[in-house]
Amino acid sequence: MRQRGYGKDTGLTIRMFFTSFLLLLLYCFFGLFLFSMGMPLEILLILGIVMVAFQFFASDKLVLASTRARVVSAEEEPKLHAVVERLSALADMPKPKKIAIMDTHVPNAFATGRSPKNSVIAVTRGLLSRLTEKELEAVLAHELSHIKNKDVMVLTWASLIVVISGFLMQMLFWMSIFGGFGGGGRSGRGGGGQAMLVIFAVYIGTILVYFISQLLILTISRYREYAADRGGAILTGSPLTLASALTKISGDLARIPEKDLRTVEHANAFFIIPALSGKSIGNLLSSHPPVEKRIEKLRSMQADLEGPSKYTDG
Amino acid sequence: MGLYAFLFGRNKLKKPKREQFFSIIGAASAVEERENLSFSHYAGVVFSPVESLFFEELDKELRDLLKISSLSTNTKYKILDDSFGARWVSFEDKDFEDLVEFAHIINETFIDHGYGDRLIASVFGFIFQGKKAYWIYYSKRGKFYPLVFDNKEKRDHQLEFRLANIMTSENIEVEKSDRWYPLTGIPF
Repeated sequence: MRQRGYGKDTGLTIRMFFTSFLLLLLYCFFGLFLFSMGMPLEILLILGIVMVAFQFFASDKLVLASTRARVVSAEEEPKLHAVVERLSALADMPKPKKIAIMDTHVPNAFATGRSPKNSVIAVTRGLLSRLTEKELEAVLAHELSHIKNKDVMVLTWASLIVVISGFLMQMLFWMSIFGGFGGGGRSGRGGGGQAMLVIFAVYIGTILVYFISQLLILTISRYREYAADRGGAILTGSPLTLASALTKISGDLARIPEKDLRTVEHANAFFIIPALSGKSIGNLLSSHPPVEKRIEKLRSMQADLEGPSKYTDG
Repeated sequence: MGLYAFLFGRNKLKKPKREQFFSIIGAASAVEERENLSFSHYAGVVFSPVESLFFEELDKELRDLLKISSLSTNTKYKILDDSFGARWVSFEDKDFEDLVEFAHIINETFIDHGYGDRLIASVFGFIFQGKKAYWIYYSKRGKFYPLVFDNKEKRDHQLEFRLANIMTSENIEVEKSDRWYPLTGIPF
């Protein structure tokens, strides 16, 4: 059976593959580097995994608590629930466990949770009041796509290397201040100097790994945003509605200088537009692609939907 | 979920499953055997429209087709958009098999046009214990599930489970209960 397609985005897939490959290389390099420097690899790994696992399994609760979002029942917000339910049915996924509302005028929305069954979707009052019915649906579809794509799982675990290198960086910093590996190891002036040298080398290497891994993960995060835009647009069948919602939200975010959501910028939640937006942070350091680029992609998707000869094999 | 979809965040909409669709015919004998169950003589198909010229083509063809087939079976039908982003074709016929056939035609038209992935469900109306009840054919999974609403439009889960048992006894495959979407806004 042939099916009228939604167009393809092969470029994005290739870039995602390339970035993930680089991240994998970095993992290998960092592991070997620490091993060759005689660092306690197992302990670091276990510590990192425990820290990430905590973030992962508590993601919904952590984010709900830090955003002070209030979970609303189907009786309180029947419409919101009905839209989410309808989109979930179309996406063939269970309805997210919790739907929450944040009491702020800043229009924004986020999704989090370790699995579709344990997921949370939250919207702000500002979003509800500013967007049209269709635009709200488009934003919810974007958030549902994050859940369907398991973005919390992908990005939380991918950032294991950030957690480990960040932790090691701090540890080495204090170690270099207080000097040496405690009581163990060599003694004497020459040996102590050598140990300091090793620590210094590891310190520099770890700093490098920390920053590079963070850049790579931010890049992957931006790609996941594109993918969620795409998934959301497919769900609602209208890429341009999402585009218009993005325009409204980003315009309002720039205009309203509220701090509410900036404090909760969180790796475990996927906001539709980063609360920490604005010209001050460069594209490379942003978790989201620039809105103009996202809109451009959505427009080309619409062209694919309408295109006369865009068929893909089903 | 495939590895590709997981790694690259590329989930596609699922194509509809249609193998089990005609097992709904078993409803006829279920109704005959039971006093507490009867047809409401309404059914409907719910789908998510796409903003595209191709889809408009489908929409137009569907409307023409409905006009023609409704003449031969004397089925009344309506097309309406709900406020949750979906479109409904709802139809009314005293003959249950005509209802099933009508729903089938709509489903097939979507699939023929390559828009089968926009189908959400086919909905058949019943009255169960004096309450509004539905047998839902959920297109994504190709299985049925029950919905029962009390007079205040609230779901009656206990009756839903009883209805599910009736469905099973008629050899109808029933979907897991975490997927019993309430399909808010059923227009009949």
